[in-house]
Amino acid sequence: MRKIIFVSLVIAVCWFAADCAHAAELNIPKDAVAGQPLTINGSGTLYLIGPGQVIKREFKSGSVEIKGEELRSAGRWIAAVHGDGNQSQVFWVKAGKPENLNFLARPSRVPVAKPNVISGVTFVFDKYQNMVVDPIPVNFNLSVGGSSNSKNVTSRDGIAWTNSNSAPKAGAAQFVASVGDTQVHRVVQQVASDPCNLRMHISGRTGNRIIVETDPIRDCSGNPVPDGTIVTFIQTDNTGKSTVDARIKKDTARAELPAADNGTITVAAGVVLGNELHVGGK
Amino acid sequence: MKLARMLVLTAGVLLAISGAVPLMKRLLADTKPAVQLNVKNAQPREVEDVTQNSVLRDYTLAWQAIGTSLANNTLQPLNENFSGFALDKLTQRVKDQKQQGITTKIIDRGHNVEAIFYSPDGSAIELKDTASIETQVLDGGTVIHSDQAQIHYYAIMTGAEDRWKVRVLESAQQ
Repeated sequence: MRKIIFVSLVIAVCWFAADCAHAAELNIPKDAVAGQPLTINGSGTLYLIGPGQVIKREFKSGSVEIKGEELRSAGRWIAAVHGDGNQSQVFWVKAGKPENLNFLARPSRVPVAKPNVISGVTFVFDKYQNMVVDPIPVNFNLSVGGSSNSKNVTSRDGIAWTNSNSAPKAGAAQFVASVGDTQVHRVVQQVASDPCNLRMHISGRTGNRIIVETDPIRDCSGNPVPDGTIVTFIQTDNTGKSTVDARIKKDTARAELPAADNGTITVAAGVVLGNELHVGGK
Repeated sequence: MKLARMLVLTAGVLLAISGAVPLMKRLLADTKPAVQLNVKNAQPREVEDVTQNSVLRDYTLAWQAIGTSLANNTLQPLNENFSGFALDKLTQRVKDQKQQGITTKIIDRGHNVEAIFYSPDGSAIELKDTASIETQVLDGGTVIHSDQAQIHYYAIMTGAEDRWKVRVLESAQQ
């Protein structure tokens, strides 16, 4: 009988101790969100140690209220109370709703009509620059000259990315990443690609010099190759080789070369070769 | 005479020990953590060997900097290894700690890191880190919290002038 009473007493004491210990735990909401207020009950001094901030408060009338704008960092927090009974507890604060996007659009200048040359990478953050790791639908839109290409991508671990072809038309393409009402714009300059059908002709003669000029230089999609692009004219004859690097000006490039008795003139822009002309001859 | 020599010698040894102990403690606190990096699952671009080595070196240095900064409330190690939001947040944490008289000791038991994203242009890399960390928070000399846990982190590193810097570092509940 004594044994039963003793065992019962021990169980009761353990139960009470466990209950007391449980009562001493800090009751912090499990679904705390950055930017939303939080109330913690206790007595003594409260320490909240977060990834990007530390808050220290004295409990007044048994509770401390942390304002939404004070609870800015998402991640692992430590709550510790130092007073009559010292307790501490780890709790988690989730990122708020997506409100900021970091958008990397590459490259800033790209030739037209090339497959998968434009990449867009978006990092999704909340109002307080916490990365939102939950999946979020992100829209990418690339538009130039009235045509647009749109893609929806769901972010993963805070990142959404896409690859896109450049449009056949040259111009400043607007590349936009958006989540809800948040939009970030980037400009990708789409420029003419390599020249297509590079052709030249003799456009005149002055004394013992000849003038060669190209036809308007365009890429294979019909976009004019930008002014300033170098076009190289080479004349080879029995006296040697003459080379002129000329820049495209108003769609064409021209050069003056010595008039040869029997020579060959070639033209090239970058890796593209144009036609050949034979001049002189006996 | 012999006794006096012994006393002087003992005093010298004690003096050396008293100087060496804090130094050893400091050295241990500044020890680089063990970091293992797996880049096999990085998307959409494959991580080059040189990049892998650099990221591993700089992520390790970043964690060493966190340990030193939070233990001593100094900003210099952070400035060398962090940028952007991560630097802003850690700087604020150190400033708050300093203001409240708090220090945090981190005993880093190692990191298991996986590269999960490497940007097409090679300018940014995202890492998923499972870290074993022992944390001790002190107010003055009083320990107010102590725990040991496996913590999951997301880190985004971007190429800086001569190294990779941690731009985002965020712990997440799994």
